[in-house]
Amino acid sequence: MRKTVLHDVHENKLKAKMAPFAGFNMPLQYTSAKLEIAAVRNQAGIFDVSHMGEFFVSGDETGDFINFMITNDYNKLPVGKAIYSPICNQEGNVLDDLIVYKLDENYALICVNAANIEQDWNWFSTHALNFNVSLENKSEDYSLIALQGPKSEELLIEVFNSYKEILKNLPYYGVHANMNDNIIFARTGYTGEDGFEVFCKNDTVEEIWESLLKAGATPCGLAARDTLRLEVCYPLYGHELDIKHTPRESSLSWTLKKSNSNYLGKESISIKSPDSKIVKLSLEKLIPREGYKIFLLDEEIGHVTSGTFSPTISQGIAMARVKNIKNMQEEDLLIEIRGKKYPAKLHKRPFYAGGIKK
Amino acid sequence: MSYNTPSELKYTKDHEWTAIDEEGNATIGITDFAQQSLGDIVFVELPEIGSNLTREDSFGVVESIKSVSDLYAPLSGEVIEVNSALQDSPELLNEDPYANWMVKISLSNKDEINKLLGNSDYEKLQVEQ
Repeated sequence: MRKTVLHDVHENKLKAKMAPFAGFNMPLQYTSAKLEIAAVRNQAGIFDVSHMGEFFVSGDETGDFINFMITNDYNKLPVGKAIYSPICNQEGNVLDDLIVYKLDENYALICVNAANIEQDWNWFSTHALNFNVSLENKSEDYSLIALQGPKSEELLIEVFNSYKEILKNLPYYGVHANMNDNIIFARTGYTGEDGFEVFCKNDTVEEIWESLLKAGATPCGLAARDTLRLEVCYPLYGHELDIKHTPRESSLSWTLKKSNSNYLGKESISIKSPDSKIVKLSLEKLIPREGYKIFLLDEEIGHVTSGTFSPTISQGIAMARVKNIKNMQEEDLLIEIRGKKYPAKLHKRPFYAGGIKK
Repeated sequence: MSYNTPSELKYTKDHEWTAIDEEGNATIGITDFAQQSLGDIVFVELPEIGSNLTREDSFGVVESIKSVSDLYAPLSGEVIEVNSALQDSPELLNEDPYANWMVKISLSNKDEINKLLGNSDYEKLQVEQ
């Protein structure tokens, strides 16, 4: 089992309950998932997400290379902004989802899911041969802390006072890199709240973590993180996203950009008519869980891909993959739980709006 | 971490407690160890009055934000009372798992009582886990 640099801090100092995730032994919760979720929604929480992968791209074809790899349009970004996108294979199926940060005209950071680091590295490396770019996998050298919640800006400025003006003015999905100090600040996250992700070298992460705790941030584990992202309906690879489905079948049509003239999987995605889709469902009393079956009256039409109890709205919430049926009647939708079927509510918008200033 | 394990109660390896009264009825709940391991309890599903429990079979469910756990009957018998307050306020189990019992049953086989653990045996089992 792999460990992040902060592993001993989590396990021994903060007495977190640890659990395996993507090959890493990670903090699941420190005190209570409920309190940690509330901290992020109302104050500020910090997450050690150093398990995630960091690739750096440089060279004069950086933009064209990234645009070939992702479905979104990186070339339209100004320096200092980031973009979210899936990456697809030739068949148009999703290999991973990631964020690309435009650090300079020909210099980018790509942050990928921990479970897919090796696969993505091989995929990027293979295709990089056709472009004038150089690629570095710095996943082992970099740590990543996510500071999330309405008080994030205030706390981050308290710890990094010399960056005060930069942090104050950093827009949503903005990024600022200081490669002399080996630190990158980005206004990104996975909770639906305002917040930052701070990429730093392994030898500085403990000091940053401790300073943020001292400033008043609540340490939060993966249990809180998963519920927070589900409340705002962000997909998770291996759940809503997988190699069997296209972005169109995974609620990611908005990332397919016509202005990106040639990307991997583009043609396949345009030809394939979606067989299934991701829907948002809630239950008033019970809690939907991954794998529970979805029915439209008597017909089984899919399954829950992620389900949890949302303490923020006090309901059971889920995302589910179901057959692509037009004009589904909400009153006919049922979730089977322990052999009984319960009516589910179909949501058009995320369960919780979050506090991001876009 | 330390757990409250009252000496007047009997326990199972599945972390249920039970108290048996003079009439041969048993009150059943989950232990302090169980509620601490589960974390924030957000949902409880209990059987209906009149249903029959079989020792070691699942009789309900307790869920935290991220987990679903079966409840296993410490003893066999018919359900005569259900603590319905838990349906609206499952967090009571975190506050006091001994005051907030789950079901009361009328025992169908009193010999099964001998199979329950005393508090010191149950405490040993907690250490092993």
